[in-house]
Amino acid sequence: MLKIILPTIMMLPTMWLSKTHMMWINTMTCSLLISIFTLMMLYLPNNSCNLSLNFFSDPLTSPLLMLTAWLLPLMILATQQHLYNNSAPRKKLYISMLVFLQISLIMTFSATELILFYILFETTLIPTLIIITRWGYQPERLNAGSYFLFYTLAGSLPLLITLLHYFSSLGSLNILTMTINTKEMMLSWTNNIMWLGCMMAFMVKMPLYGLHLWLPKAHVEAPIAGSMVLAAILLKLGSYGMMRVTPMLNPLTEKMSYPFIVLSLWGMVMTSSICLRQADLKSLIAYSSVSHMALVILAILIQTPWSLTGAMILMIAHGLTSSLLFCLANSNYERVHSRTMMFTRGLQALFPLLALWWLLANLTNLALPPTINLMGELLTILASFSWSNFTIMFTGFNMLITALYSLHMFTSTQRGPLTYSTSNVKPLFTRENTLMLMHMAPILLLTLNPKTIMCLTP
Amino acid sequence: MKLVDGINITELFMRSGTPNRAGVVVPWVAKMSFPKYKPSRLATLPQTLDPAEYDISLESRRAQVERLAIRARLKREYLLQYNDPNRRGLVVNPALVRWAYARANIYPNCRATPKNSLLGAVVGFGPLILWYYILKTDRILTVAWRDTVPHQLFGEPSF
Repeated sequence: MLKIILPTIMMLPTMWLSKTHMMWINTMTCSLLISIFTLMMLYLPNNSCNLSLNFFSDPLTSPLLMLTAWLLPLMILATQQHLYNNSAPRKKLYISMLVFLQISLIMTFSATELILFYILFETTLIPTLIIITRWGYQPERLNAGSYFLFYTLAGSLPLLITLLHYFSSLGSLNILTMTINTKEMMLSWTNNIMWLGCMMAFMVKMPLYGLHLWLPKAHVEAPIAGSMVLAAILLKLGSYGMMRVTPMLNPLTEKMSYPFIVLSLWGMVMTSSICLRQADLKSLIAYSSVSHMALVILAILIQTPWSLTGAMILMIAHGLTSSLLFCLANSNYERVHSRTMMFTRGLQALFPLLALWWLLANLTNLALPPTINLMGELLTILASFSWSNFTIMFTGFNMLITALYSLHMFTSTQRGPLTYSTSNVKPLFTRENTLMLMHMAPILLLTLNPKTIMCLTP
Repeated sequence: MKLVDGINITELFMRSGTPNRAGVVVPWVAKMSFPKYKPSRLATLPQTLDPAEYDISLESRRAQVERLAIRARLKREYLLQYNDPNRRGLVVNPALVRWAYARANIYPNCRATPKNSLLGAVVGFGPLILWYYILKTDRILTVAWRDTVPHQLFGEPSF
């Protein structure tokens, strides 16, 4: 694991000491090389690497680590345009924030101990807050940053207290030894509150339907790298945390999870329906993230092998797809400086290649077979149907509405008559095409071999 | 004149056609094939299809005159602004601006009233409580079924 963490830390001096004209090239190259290192975790003996006391790798963490490492070069590619007018130290500061975030994320996903995980979980908030509030576009970003910070902090303080209590009663919060602990959580008021304390932080982060207010604000107001990392990785921190913490909470999860299952089922349908009425493109993608994550919450709370596999696949698939959608929305924004969907209509006639990326992004978003999005949704929906037949009403309806708003997004940006105001927009640069390809290629390749991310032996 | 017992030729002629818009009975070959116009909420009966076209009551006549006066005043104000040689910008209809502002700013001008809050609570929490009970009932049935039916998976022994 150190082979990933140390190069990421050393990216900071590499970048600060490089010349201005080599800055982007150096950071891109370094981050791409680091992402190659994470591929080494795929074919380990026994599927896990436990060479250290502090960091380890596991079929649950390795897909997320690969996603995190793959996303840093993509973020750096995406931000070159909007940072163009900033001075060189400010550009370097932005990339430092991204690298700091990357360090904390890599350490979060590979932490052995839950307290280390918690500290790094909180650490990821700071660079994200700085990116949103300093480099966002509208004055509403201050509000967005405050909502993001305080929602997550308020949810995670009980988690700290609960983890410390557990540490004192269990003796160790090592993830590997937690799977063999014999202390079961029986039904009692204290244990109920402990369950809530453990889970609320991750519910806020995911986000669950009632606590999702920070997400549309933060996603919309953040600059492109902020939106990408929020949608692709930070939401998955919540689900990863839930999957790590639930082994200690059995068998209470069967009783306590009902309100959250109901909230995630209803929230899926509600947030998908809201997507149909959005005028703002980024807001639509943000609400679609809430809807997909509600499916992941459902999968994790049901706690069957199929649903946990489905959750894992959904996490990776949604990370790549959502990030791709935000990149496409950003390419729109950089040309017309407006997030309104109706402002750039009929782009298929002008930019066919961009239309191809939009089509692929929307098709994967609506979980077209045989993409991994469908595989994840299929496993989750099957598991939830077997859990209780009634859930198919919500999950089926949600799949329908997801298809509706994805196609609505596609037809309102690509099809139809051109708007007269888009006469002088430039087509996609090579950099942007590379960015879209680098998002799409993993999705297409994983479609051919999904067992990589299937987390079959956590 | 009676040809056959019980049949009146005039009546035969009257029944051999259909009345047109003016009320005259015309032969079937001269029937104009419009469907019957049924007025609805958004497509009211136009004055030309109204049978009482020229029998307007005094009240409705006064209302028509009043509406015409308002329209004429607005048109006069518009034409004054439109043909003003010193005008540089758009002719703005303040009513339209107010309507657009009202449509876009519903949320900041909302206030929590008892009726509002009750509606919000019912629509916000009601479905959740309903789905909770339905899901819980279904789950109890599922668990009961799962625990009574013996499951054998690929040759697992059933104890």
